Amino acid sequence: MSQARAVEAETSGLDALSLQQRMELQYEIEQFLYAEAAMLDGREYRAWLDLWTEDCSYWMPIRRTVTLSDIDREFTKRGDMSFYDDDKQALAMRVAKMESGSSWSEDPPSRTRHIVDNVRITAVNGAETTVDVAFILYRSRLNTEESMWVGRRVDTLRRVDAALKLCGREIYLDQTLIRATNMSTLF
Amino acid sequence: MDLVQEPGSAPSKSEIRSCFDPAEGTLDRRVFADREIYDLEMRNIFARAWNFMCHESQIPNPGDYFINYIGEDQVIVVRDRQGEVQVLLNTCRHRGNALCRAEQGNAKSFVCSYHGWNYDLNGDLIGVPGMTAYYRKDFDKSQWGLAKAAQVDHLHGFYFATLDPDTPPLPDYLGEVGRIGLGLLVANGPVEVVDGVQKNVIDCNWKIAVDNLFDWYHVQYSHASAGNSGILDIAAILHPNNQMVMFGEYGHAISGPVIPPERQAEIDAMSDEERFAVTVAKMTEDPNRLPQPLRMSFAKDMLGPTGVRCMGHPNIFPNLWVSTGGTQLSLRLPRGPFETEIWWFTVLPKAMPEEMKKKQVAFITHLFGPAGLLEQDDGENWSQSTRASRGVKARTYRHHMAMGLGQDEVLTDATGTSRVETTISEHAQRWLYTNWMNWLTADSWAELKANHPSFPKGRV
Repeated sequence: MSQARAVEAETSGLDALSLQQRMELQYEIEQFLYAEAAMLDGREYRAWLDLWTEDCSYWMPIRRTVTLSDIDREFTKRGDMSFYDDDKQALAMRVAKMESGSSWSEDPPSRTRHIVDNVRITAVNGAETTVDVAFILYRSRLNTEESMWVGRRVDTLRRVDAALKLCGREIYLDQTLIRATNMSTLF
Repeated sequence: MDLVQEPGSAPSKSEIRSCFDPAEGTLDRRVFADREIYDLEMRNIFARAWNFMCHESQIPNPGDYFINYIGEDQVIVVRDRQGEVQVLLNTCRHRGNALCRAEQGNAKSFVCSYHGWNYDLNGDLIGVPGMTAYYRKDFDKSQWGLAKAAQVDHLHGFYFATLDPDTPPLPDYLGEVGRIGLGLLVANGPVEVVDGVQKNVIDCNWKIAVDNLFDWYHVQYSHASAGNSGILDIAAILHPNNQMVMFGEYGHAISGPVIPPERQAEIDAMSDEERFAVTVAKMTEDPNRLPQPLRMSFAKDMLGPTGVRCMGHPNIFPNLWVSTGGTQLSLRLPRGPFETEIWWFTVLPKAMPEEMKKKQVAFITHLFGPAGLLEQDDGENWSQSTRASRGVKARTYRHHMAMGLGQDEVLTDATGTSRVETTISEHAQRWLYTNWMNWLTADSWAELKANHPSFPKGRV
């Protein structure tokens, strides 16, 4: 099954929740994701980094234009090449780069807007909840550079000491050839 | 110097000859901005050169294909039923439609989505709808197969193609320096490509991106923040006073750090087991640093006594960079004077232990590609350099490309290849543009072979 399509099957834990519980969880997660987006747009990278668990994974595979007969090879797989294949340490390096005072690709800084929508809880497993979201990331740089990345994200959130943390993010872009000078922004 | 030209007219040979002054080390910025120069590059460089297509491991089975470019000609690189690699122009002979709209995959044949003309994997036209009813059999299919590259060949499984039947055979084209460049990829044994080619497009001229791969001067400043991020000890990889530039046939060159002879002598004295142990120890000590494995004894036989010391960046003219210690290939594909696609292929030894492969792939991803901590800072420099070459006034100021000019003595090794061993310099860029002018001013391969510059001698 193509990873482009949402996986609907893993809803066991979700079925056990009442409608009220589901609505509360949905609200809590949406507010978390909006606050996270605001941190990135507000360039609060250090605070953003703290949202991630120590064992987190942040991954963006390469997408290819393929025929329907090859659709199972549309995305690269874990362990193959990707655009992001980060653990907490790698995310911390990205943040350290931005804070270094010599990160020329972000100085002058980009103006970004992270739009998150179509949030659907797809699985609840103990302390972890997986959501499927659609995103638009708009980036304006210098006076003329514009990039827009649209795609699907699969986020896994974990409740740690009553607070939500991010422990997984898979980013499936709708672009194949990246039409941008770089991806110096965080998704 | 009169640089005014009629719009659309090809620049004259004397105009091209005025673009780069090797004695002064200056470059006219019109090479980044003129459509006419770009069009000439397509005809005289890309249509004539051997262009990198893909590695054999990307298309192992009959019907496997990978789309690439020769200049602006899109080509299908496909393994046919006989197991031969074919390079076919991706354009139907009927109305010119692109036959293959995917980037890669497996096909039984190539069927045009417009009228259904069907081509076999070797390019033969095998099916034409309406042959009897509409063409009334007055059509000779054998004359309308797909156009093909004039020559296809490979070295170590890395496939190249050229559109020119007069291009010298691939080994002659590569020469010693090109062979060392590709040899670095297999210096730790037979390789395969890791699935996934990163592709992005930068609004820069392709030559700015090629110049940059030779350029160890920008590393300290452009990539200072990558150093600060902790991914790389910039000072430890730079070796600013142990640099080598090798001058290759037709504009190939290698530029960057070199293992000093006395260190190489120490390595030569070690057994392969001892070398491997050193590499493993280094990786264990700091798994996040670029593992630069000590090359095995067979590598010296393949690369020669100078090539085996090479830790720099080869460019196979015009646009193939052998990168990241021989574990990556990067293509700079021109898309008009102001746009370049950057493609990254990752190439690892088949025998590399899985755990090491995993680390290497993650590390490479953190360094290069559009999101790489190193590469993030390159694209904007190139796009702004290109953009600033378009101004009427700005373009009258020539680039300074004279670092180290007249300062170094050419050394020649037993193979006749010339090199300098020196500090960080711009010798490789000057060699690139000296050759670039020869390509653009030659009307044919015969002329290019006759006129191409002999390797530098004496002081450069």
